[in-house]
Amino acid sequence: MARITAGVASSHIPALGVASDFDKTAEPYWAPAFAGYEWTKRWEAEQKPDVVILVYNDHASAFDMKIIPTFAIGCGESYQPADEGWGPRKVPVVEGHPDLAWHIAQSLIIDEFDMTIINEMDVDHGLTVPLSMMFGKPEAWPCKVIPLAVNVVTYPPPSGNRCWALGEAIARAVASFEEDLNVQVWGTGGMSHQLQGPRAGLINAAWDNDFLDGLVGDSDRLRHIPHIEYLRETGSEGIEMVMWLIMRGALGKATRVLHRHYHVPASNTAVGHIVLEPV
Amino acid sequence: MNRVTDIHAYLAEFDDIPGTRVFTAKRARAGYHLNQFAMSLMKPENRERWKADERAYLDGWAMTEEQKQAVLARDYNRLLDLGGNIYFLAKLFSTDGLSFLQAVSTMSGMSLDEYAAMMIAGGRSAEGQRSIREGR
Repeated sequence: MARITAGVASSHIPALGVASDFDKTAEPYWAPAFAGYEWTKRWEAEQKPDVVILVYNDHASAFDMKIIPTFAIGCGESYQPADEGWGPRKVPVVEGHPDLAWHIAQSLIIDEFDMTIINEMDVDHGLTVPLSMMFGKPEAWPCKVIPLAVNVVTYPPPSGNRCWALGEAIARAVASFEEDLNVQVWGTGGMSHQLQGPRAGLINAAWDNDFLDGLVGDSDRLRHIPHIEYLRETGSEGIEMVMWLIMRGALGKATRVLHRHYHVPASNTAVGHIVLEPV
Repeated sequence: MNRVTDIHAYLAEFDDIPGTRVFTAKRARAGYHLNQFAMSLMKPENRERWKADERAYLDGWAMTEEQKQAVLARDYNRLLDLGGNIYFLAKLFSTDGLSFLQAVSTMSGMSLDEYAAMMIAGGRSAEGQRSIREGR
């Protein structure tokens, strides 16, 4: 049977992708941000996950204003890196896992989560930057990826509670897939940042670290944080952290922390990263 | 459980955050053509046409004159007011060759150097930036 063995959360700041692509990761500005991923690169090389269910948001790349799905799951064979206006990132094609993805899609819909199913799309920095952070610069990504795109751009995004419950439903879906697969769930985006208006540049390290604390152990307090708290405390784009709760929900009742990293800044944003396993 | 039971109260709270325009349905509706214009700059052939004659390119879109003027002036705070969303507007400033850090700094009322220095020093504190009404 397929099993969820770990959860990973990470910021997906586009500038991290640029630093990786142009070999700037040793520069003084970028080195501390990347140093916190060295442990994870070694750990992932040992873990060798078969599939990563990668929760992210599209940034006006695959989806424009024409169609705004709240939760969309990628069931395609493969996904090209998107051209976000300056040419696609020169990173490997992302290979999907259509059998598991379709199984999860069916299971979620039967479980009353009304998913949008995507068979063809390009994937932007929201999905490819976390792959670079966890795997570096390989010729091909070492695992299959199931993209799970969440609308966190046009209000209202889903509640944290709904995201957590979706994670729980994903865990049930994975557990009923017959093939023996090592599956990880990644939640991406965040942490505190605001990319707009006179309040731009807001960072709240105390709040972010309390959020990281809340992912560990058997508390479910984070699922009850309302949108307005993310907006007030973590900046308008900090709302991306609801996506981390899909990962946390998928890990079950309790978690243990294996690794944790926090650094300010990368461009406009606080870098946060945590590796968890279910207990 | 903090289930939202009053959508008007839910939306009203967004206006209490200093220096922030939350991308609500109302803004998404007002900014539809503005954001789709910005999205069109993802295509290299459109970027060429845009660079050749910005005004003529804008006139091909069902945007308000106010929106067009704000685009021409690259007044990003104004564009947010008029329904622009930052991830769509990013196509515009990327076409101009600006990074997120450069473009975002123009909205902050600070110079790029001041803004970049603030970020390196840990970013803008949330203190006093959470609520207009409560002054916290």
